[in-house]
Amino acid sequence: MMTPFLGAIFLFFASLFLAPFLMGVILKVKAFFGGKKGPSLLIKYHTLAKLLRKGSVYSRSTTFIFGLGPLVSLAASLTGLAFLPIAGQNPVFSFPGDVVFVWYLFGLARFFVAAAALDTASPFEGMGAAREVFFGLLTEAAIFLVFLQFAFLSGQYSLASFLAGEGAINIFSREGFLLVLIVPAIFFVMLTENARVPVDDPATHLELTMIHEVMILDHSGPDLAIMEAAVFARMFFYAAFIADLLLPGGFGPGMRILLFFLLLLLIYLAIGVLESITARLKMDQVPKFILTSFALAFFAIILSLEVTP
Amino acid sequence: MACDRKMIYLSSFLLIGTGGIIPLFLMHRFSLMRLAGPAGIGSGCIVGFVCSLTDLLAATTRTVSWAWLGWLPLSFRIDVLSSFFLVPIFLIGLAAAVYSYHYLDDRARTLRTAVHSFFLSLLILSMALVVIADSMISFVLAWEVMSVASAALILYNYGEKANRRAAYRYFIFSQGGGLFVLAAFGLLFSASGSFSLAAPAALPQDARLAIFLLGLIGFGSKAGIMPLHFWLPYAHPAAPSHVSALMSGVMIKIGIYGILRLYQCVAPDAHIVGPLLIILGAFSGTVGVLYALGQHDLKRLLAYHSVENIGIILVGIGVGILGISAQRPFIALFGLTGGLLHVWNHALFKSLLFMGAGNVLHGVGTVNMNRLGGLMKNMPKTGILFLVGSLAICGLPPLNGFISEFFIFVAGLNGTGAGLEPMPFLFIVLAVLSLAVIGGLAVACFTKVVGVVFLGAPRTEAALHAHECRWTMIVPMICIGAVCLAIGLFPGIFSMPAVMAAGGIMGGDAPDITAILDLSRSISLAGGGFLLFLGLLIYLRRLLYRSRQVAHAPTWGCGFTAPTARMQYTSSSYARSILQFYRPFTRIREEYREIESVLPPPAAYRSHLVDRMEDWGDRYIGRNIERFCSRLRFIQHGFIQFYIAYIVVALIVLLLYQLVR
Repeated sequence: MMTPFLGAIFLFFASLFLAPFLMGVILKVKAFFGGKKGPSLLIKYHTLAKLLRKGSVYSRSTTFIFGLGPLVSLAASLTGLAFLPIAGQNPVFSFPGDVVFVWYLFGLARFFVAAAALDTASPFEGMGAAREVFFGLLTEAAIFLVFLQFAFLSGQYSLASFLAGEGAINIFSREGFLLVLIVPAIFFVMLTENARVPVDDPATHLELTMIHEVMILDHSGPDLAIMEAAVFARMFFYAAFIADLLLPGGFGPGMRILLFFLLLLLIYLAIGVLESITARLKMDQVPKFILTSFALAFFAIILSLEVTP
Repeated sequence: MACDRKMIYLSSFLLIGTGGIIPLFLMHRFSLMRLAGPAGIGSGCIVGFVCSLTDLLAATTRTVSWAWLGWLPLSFRIDVLSSFFLVPIFLIGLAAAVYSYHYLDDRARTLRTAVHSFFLSLLILSMALVVIADSMISFVLAWEVMSVASAALILYNYGEKANRRAAYRYFIFSQGGGLFVLAAFGLLFSASGSFSLAAPAALPQDARLAIFLLGLIGFGSKAGIMPLHFWLPYAHPAAPSHVSALMSGVMIKIGIYGILRLYQCVAPDAHIVGPLLIILGAFSGTVGVLYALGQHDLKRLLAYHSVENIGIILVGIGVGILGISAQRPFIALFGLTGGLLHVWNHALFKSLLFMGAGNVLHGVGTVNMNRLGGLMKNMPKTGILFLVGSLAICGLPPLNGFISEFFIFVAGLNGTGAGLEPMPFLFIVLAVLSLAVIGGLAVACFTKVVGVVFLGAPRTEAALHAHECRWTMIVPMICIGAVCLAIGLFPGIFSMPAVMAAGGIMGGDAPDITAILDLSRSISLAGGGFLLFLGLLIYLRRLLYRSRQVAHAPTWGCGFTAPTARMQYTSSSYARSILQFYRPFTRIREEYREIESVLPPPAAYRSHLVDRMEDWGDRYIGRNIERFCSRLRFIQHGFIQFYIAYIVVALIVLLLYQLVR
């Protein structure tokens, strides 16, 4: 019999281990839609291993900030993940208000990644950084609106109280209809924050159209591996957040964990399908896309004024 | 014992005053004079700092008073709120005095430096006197001295026309604001019949609100609340950097002190004041940071950030007062504590940033960001300290800015789930949302500053040859930076003073502080844990790279082979898309000379963000006042006999009025 804390740590490491696999799922789906066989599902593990074995080339204009960017990003992603309930189980750490802490850590990560990009003196990377902070500030407004909503519904304000235990918010509860608006809002935020289609295309080859990829153009070898790992963990964070909201209550822990990972797989499949069938938006349409999620969350708040928690 | 403590305060004031006066007599001995100012002011500030900090922690109240001219009461009283504001005055005063030693090292400006020391000591003294004033008379006297002293400090570089205009504009604003403060006090005096600033017995509800609103305009213009902020972006670039640090870090907070003291004194309807402060704060915060983002001048940018942070402070106080009116002590305590702690935090990181900007000015000769770049290599100490200040002002963990914003967030999130009435609920939503938006915009703004000024490649020859500054300009920054980190990592200890001051405003019993202590402990653990994690990762990365081949090469130019430093993203291009998104509030004015002929003259492009508030204020208010006053100009003709006639006529009219009455 595992103690809850050990269980949480186990789930934390399981998530870390699974995150690259799930990214591989997206690639497989896209390959399927393109009529190709596609890379192995384990491709991302290979990529990480390959990058970790290499050396690095640094631009002469860079300073210590350049190396700090990926590290802060990874540390923020991992710390954030430690606060997230996985499969509705209690997370490793939790305190009231940890939602603010976690999202401000993500802000810290954004600060350092953008600073690292500007450190290279490349106009392209500066452009990517400018776009990243712009879209980031819009998603932050949307996500805090979601938290206000959750705080209103649960009367608490930690990720654990939102997503774990008895009073967990999920789509099958009495206030579940609000989540019909909230879940797409978080989904849009996830696509923006993790540089997926239709906001950004990880597969594009033209630097002028990139956001995230262009910021890490000069990172190479282990630095790039750290950056990639941070992105995998961040992606997993958001997907797990959504999966928790969709997870039906009333099962035993084992069943819940199984269902949770199935849901997670479904979400990554959905991202893959979305990336295959939609084109990316024009850059000036992206703010409207993010504001859609803001508007959805805002409508949910208005609706919830009629609901007594 | 209490009497002794008063003498210590007095000796601290005397030391500061001596530090201001002695240099005036040492004009022929430059090095001695340069030492005397900072030494006197600094030692006085140390004494005052220790004294006020211990008083604050012991929550003691002291009073001193005597009658001036027989009937004007000059009384002073130090309570928790006063000591809370005294601490940053002395601390930042000390840092500014030390910093000025190497910052003002121009032998050719001996007189000017001596006069500067005098006004610096006067500014610190008058600020201290404002926050300990207990009667309207002493308050207004100290307030006016503070305005004059700071205006004189802005005039340090009076050779440039822009600086004289900045000082003039500031002077008009502070005098106009002073008039509103006087009006508020006049109304209060006529209603209560005493000069005391302690809570008056009975006032009608309308009078309370009217007094508070008048005071809000007066104090708000000093604090730089949004529609009354236009003096800040002119005054701060004009003043020497340590004066900007003192003015932006501390002096504008005296406006916040005035608002709080007046709130305590007249107790206006909290149902109106809370939402009002939230609206004002959200507006100042969002639009302030937006305008900051559009600036190219580093010190002007920091000045707009002061507007933003005053906004955050007001949001916190507003949420707290909303909590008082809704009878939710939890919301009230967290909101007020967050707002008050932000007063300290902003004093710290803003003076750190202004000193950093001063180092840049000293080391390169310009603060125009589009002429800088790559300073981290030649000025690593300044660069790292500026980075610390930037992270703190963005409210990012694990630094102090995060703590105060976190408390306000907790108040807001608690308020959402506490089943409030719809109206307060919506204001709480507004408060939380505005904080989130401000946080995001601040990150955008300071990645721009750090990236454009300290990272990348130098854009000019001067930036390439930048040099690090002398130790008196670095040591104060290191100390302030360390305090920023300490507050961020151990918020429990440092937020207690703010809690006590908040308790004073809430009134009633001592507030329940267990929630704040619990949360602070969690934040310490989480922040420390994050740093530990980061340290571990840094160590692992170093281990990994030990056996790797590392090469250095030019930046990958995406196929372009002749990149220059001038092709980098500039401060204007970085901010452009965000500014365009917020178009109704921002307008970018552009001048562009296009390439037209085969052999074109040099092309030029210039962009400038228009401050719409200033623009509208100028157009609809300033011009009308000017038009009205120009009609009255015939009164001012310069004939002295007529002026004497005015006086005589006025006297006669007043006498007649008394007779008729």
